Amino acid sequence: MNTVSVIPERCTGCQCCEMVCSLSHEGFCSPSLSRIRVKKWEEISVFIPIICQQCEKPPCVDICPTGARERTPGTDTVMTDENRCVGCKSCLYACPYSAPVLHLLTKRTMTCDLCHGQPLCTQVCTAGALSYGPEGILSTEKRRAFAQTLLHSTRSR
Amino acid sequence: MIKGWTGKRLRIDLGFQKAWVEDIAPADLRQWFGGRGLNASFFVQHFPSPISPASPENPVAFAAGPLTGTLAPASGWTSIASISPILDPPRYGITRMAGHFGASLKGAGFDQCIIQGRANRPVYLWIDGEEVKFEKADHLWGKETTGTTVAIQEEKADRSVEVLCIGPAGERRLPFANAIHRLSWTGDHLGLGYLFGVKQLKAIAIRGKKPITLHDPQRFLNLCLGLKDRIQKDRKIRRLRESGAFSLLEREGGVMMKQGTGRLPFGSEKQWAISLRTHVSGRQSCFSCPVHCGVNIEYQRGYFGGIHPEKAWHWGPQIGVYNGEWTLKLLRFCQTRGLDPFLAGSLLTRILEGVETGPLSEEDLRQADGIEDQGEKAFFILHRLIDSSRKEFDLVASRCPENEDLDVLADILSFCLVVVNRLNLMTVSNMIDLVHAATGYALSKKELRDTIWNILQMESRLQNKQLHPTDESPLPHFGEGQISEILRKEEHHNESIIHGTAS
Repeated sequence: MNTVSVIPERCTGCQCCEMVCSLSHEGFCSPSLSRIRVKKWEEISVFIPIICQQCEKPPCVDICPTGARERTPGTDTVMTDENRCVGCKSCLYACPYSAPVLHLLTKRTMTCDLCHGQPLCTQVCTAGALSYGPEGILSTEKRRAFAQTLLHSTRSR
Repeated sequence: MIKGWTGKRLRIDLGFQKAWVEDIAPADLRQWFGGRGLNASFFVQHFPSPISPASPENPVAFAAGPLTGTLAPASGWTSIASISPILDPPRYGITRMAGHFGASLKGAGFDQCIIQGRANRPVYLWIDGEEVKFEKADHLWGKETTGTTVAIQEEKADRSVEVLCIGPAGERRLPFANAIHRLSWTGDHLGLGYLFGVKQLKAIAIRGKKPITLHDPQRFLNLCLGLKDRIQKDRKIRRLRESGAFSLLEREGGVMMKQGTGRLPFGSEKQWAISLRTHVSGRQSCFSCPVHCGVNIEYQRGYFGGIHPEKAWHWGPQIGVYNGEWTLKLLRFCQTRGLDPFLAGSLLTRILEGVETGPLSEEDLRQADGIEDQGEKAFFILHRLIDSSRKEFDLVASRCPENEDLDVLADILSFCLVVVNRLNLMTVSNMIDLVHAATGYALSKKELRDTIWNILQMESRLQNKQLHPTDESPLPHFGEGQISEILRKEEHHNESIIHGTAS
């Protein structure tokens, strides 16, 4: 199963992902129309993109009272059916990330649809904070990076 | 309906605590685009002759461009204009600020924001869409910039708010104080901190949520993706990204070498850069920029980002400091107090030079001591100070634009000067295409040339400079100048590409 993985240490807060998401999905440019949101703490220079992780056991699907949140058959995505969504926001509360966002105009929730298998946010993220692939890649990469620092510290001793 | 632009100007009077919205005529937008052009035309209309920078009427103008707040690469800059206290005599001055401020101004629904008047007690402006509030800032007065930014965001219970604030230096009305945004990006070379301080304005906090409409979203998306891809793959950019803006230092160094210290041990600048690099902890980027050249520094539990080489240079080799630790200490001081590193740096250069080599020699001092009359003494010292100084005393740090016309073009479209003018990663045709896709306005190259020429003329009129395109002006590239040259080169280049693929 492929997802968008986030490495927050690499995020520089440029908001390119927000822009490309809102532009490609809604035709407007606005961080508030994006399905990915960059949270910032400028005094410690920390930027963390929050995006739907397409959970294996999505709490949003369990809690949705109208059955609007569901896993789309044939894809990896968990999506909101706009016709059934009543905008009760319970998925926002249930999600451990609070990743679903309210659409500025329709007031229904929306989450990442992986751009039909080619997420644009991962293409424009030149900082390397966002990547798309099987979940295994992220953990392998992180493990490797950690091993490398270990290697450096033992070598330099 | 206007696309790309918002077509609105926010006017604020701090004295009467009033805010109102004006429409900007579409014809004006098409003529001046935005940023520097809009600001200059506002001043020509309302303030053709300079007024005192300390007077309440003196407007501080912020303006974004038609591409600010969109996906267009490196388009996050803001143009700022006012009657500047650091120019002698005080007159119209401009500067530009990188970062996210312009994008949030645009998101609030404005192309331009003009602040006038003087508050009778410290305030900060809270702009939430079209709602503008004048919030008390007594509890923030005296606070450092970091504390102010965080306090305002917590007061509004929203960390996504963008804050532009001054520190104690601005409150004390030092002419070389600046305003800082996201604790990284500053509006320098203008005395912005002084202007805020005079108006008793501690900060501007903006939350912008309005979507920006585009003429042809699909084409705009494709153009931006293509451009971002090209910029990302560029060799110069890769170097910039790997080693931060320090990679530009070699070029900066040659121009701004400190004079009068004699020869330095070989490689000391390199050592200085290396010692700075040991404190690097990640990067920070302007709005919608694929370059991420801002370098974050972690120093003594304090973080500061967006270090650009010029800033570090002014507190490093420029003043003879070759110890990275001290450079960081000085920069940190500037950042928290809200001092302009360029101006404060050049002032310090002068003072330090005085301490080291002494414009007043011991002999001078002895002579001065012998003078009875206080007036004569003052004259003697002043005379010695001015006449014996070997170096030109220039408070405004020297900047050498590589191409003035491209500077103007970048400023009116709110593009990054480094990407457009220094590294030339976007062609003029690219920018024209982007403007067309965003606004639906297909501008010809001739119109662009006229606009740039008109803006330069307006500015020189505001600054009481006389420009004659045919004369030997100090700027040799006016009118039928550089922009035409660039366009010719671009066309030639395109032709050769077409020719190359055909053959």
